Amino acid sequence: MTATVSPPTVGRLPNPRRSTEKRRQRTLTWVLAVISLFTVAPLIAVAVLALSPEDAPTLPYALPSSLTLDNIIRIFNVGEFPLWLWNSFLYSAVSVVVVLLTASMAAYALARKRFPGRNALLWAIIATMMVPVQATLIPTFILISKMGGVNTLWGLILPTLANAQAIFLIRQFVRDMPEELFDAARIDGAGEWRTFWQIVLPLIRPVLATLAIFVFLWHWNDLLWPLVVGQSDAARTLTVGLATLNTETASTSNVMAATLVSFIPCLVIFALLQKHIVASITHSGVKG
Amino acid sequence: MSVNTRTRSTLAGRHPALTAPPLKPFGARKARNREALAGILFVLPTLVIFGLFKFLPIFGAGAMSLTEYSLNGDFEFLGADNYVRLAEDPNFWQSLKVTFLYVAIFVPFIIAVSLAGAVLLDKLVRFTGTFRALLFIPYLSSFVMAGIIWTWIFSTDGPLNAALGGLGMGPVPFTSGPQLLVLLSLAVVSVWKGFGYSMLIFLAGLKAQPAEVHEAARIDGAGAWKSFWYVTLPLLKPVVFFVLVIETIVGFQVFDTIYVMTGGGPARASHSLIYFLFDEGFKFFDFGYASAIGVVLFVIVLILSLIQQRFFEGKDSK
Repeated sequence: MTATVSPPTVGRLPNPRRSTEKRRQRTLTWVLAVISLFTVAPLIAVAVLALSPEDAPTLPYALPSSLTLDNIIRIFNVGEFPLWLWNSFLYSAVSVVVVLLTASMAAYALARKRFPGRNALLWAIIATMMVPVQATLIPTFILISKMGGVNTLWGLILPTLANAQAIFLIRQFVRDMPEELFDAARIDGAGEWRTFWQIVLPLIRPVLATLAIFVFLWHWNDLLWPLVVGQSDAARTLTVGLATLNTETASTSNVMAATLVSFIPCLVIFALLQKHIVASITHSGVKG
Repeated sequence: MSVNTRTRSTLAGRHPALTAPPLKPFGARKARNREALAGILFVLPTLVIFGLFKFLPIFGAGAMSLTEYSLNGDFEFLGADNYVRLAEDPNFWQSLKVTFLYVAIFVPFIIAVSLAGAVLLDKLVRFTGTFRALLFIPYLSSFVMAGIIWTWIFSTDGPLNAALGGLGMGPVPFTSGPQLLVLLSLAVVSVWKGFGYSMLIFLAGLKAQPAEVHEAARIDGAGAWKSFWYVTLPLLKPVVFFVLVIETIVGFQVFDTIYVMTGGGPARASHSLIYFLFDEGFKFFDFGYASAIGVVLFVIVLILSLIQQRFFEGKDSK
């Protein structure tokens, strides 16, 4: 492949171990290239199908003779697709902002302040991580419906703001900060809120960035809760819309165009923050 | 002044011996009260959100599972009737069977694929970042998106059956055939979408292994396979166990791909536990009964989490 085999220099025999290693690396590269084909080919197929002219022969029997943006333009003009996109964006973006803010505040208090009931609260928050969201799906739905939140965006967003993992992760960061930092802030006369805003928040930026990525992805890709609470278009997210498109008799090119559009934000985030994502999974085991 | 009292109260908090004769009782208490007030204010939004949307529903799930709860809010206390009904409901046992079968296929499958990917990436010297990204990319997609792509790939006139047709084999009903085939197809989709995450965890575990051990194995004449089987894998055991539990929990929660690809069919062949809960709750609006199914799911996940914790605590205390 890319490894160029240099001709052996005159008078010096090629090191046999190095050449076996070279051969091994080349085989390894090929094997990984084949595996990558399996992981990436379905995504390329989506793009090709989404960009193929609607009536032209296309995959799996032929490659389209030309590519077009018609399908993508059409889904933006027809039906409720733009609304779903907007709903998904709000569901994800609002959740990221509120979760990060409330979780940082709570994590700061739980790690640094002594108040009655602190340990009980911390224990209770951590314990909720053991309860799968599906197990509380019904009572949460009943609660939201009693509050009048079915088919509304606030009803969709509110219950997902309780994120124990975010609190847990941020708390570990805040707990490991040196006490002198807070003493210094106190000597300088910084109030509680200023200490939080100007000292704690800037220092936990790395963990906030990581959490922002995962909270965004989790909401953007979530299905069950939006499916249950957002049945009308007013609160229907992209995943729910896609799932219904797929079961209805929408054309393949429409479904694939919508799927492609839904994937683009995730791809952009990955392209920009790849190193961050990889590091956070390998270090803290954040589950998206 | 505030510095002194602050240091004092911190020490007092940490060392019980110092709490007995407080030097500045008034100032210390004042500072302590202010600290407590600040703490409570900071934690208040979370307390409200968790109280309403975590603690209340958790107790609600247990309570509702003991009732017959109808759409308009009327309920009737039934005791354990819902659980008795579950035990006698063939659909419940069917969904349990589907879920366990699926987990039995999915978990070894995803562990094998992610471990293989990690081992290959670990051995690779150049282009590691590129291949890592290419293998990880599907993880960014939603299960819905994965389901849509693979519905097309598995369809009668999709690429897979086109290739099989080229070999002279009839169309294979990947998502509408026999149960094991359907569950295998669903597992393929989830493995494709999810293995990148476990692969990165395995990769980190492999990178953490000391090079000397592998060098020693090589000098002792162990080949690549032997070295993997007798050195790499035993050292990786805690990581494997961690991933095993995580993926088992993920497996028990399978829903999205089923909703998109098979709708629980054919003939309940892929009607998983969550799908059963979803049907009972939002097709038949039998909320009490659906809550009981949720409690069963919770118990299964709880047992898995406890096994994981027990295992890791055992490791730490050594």
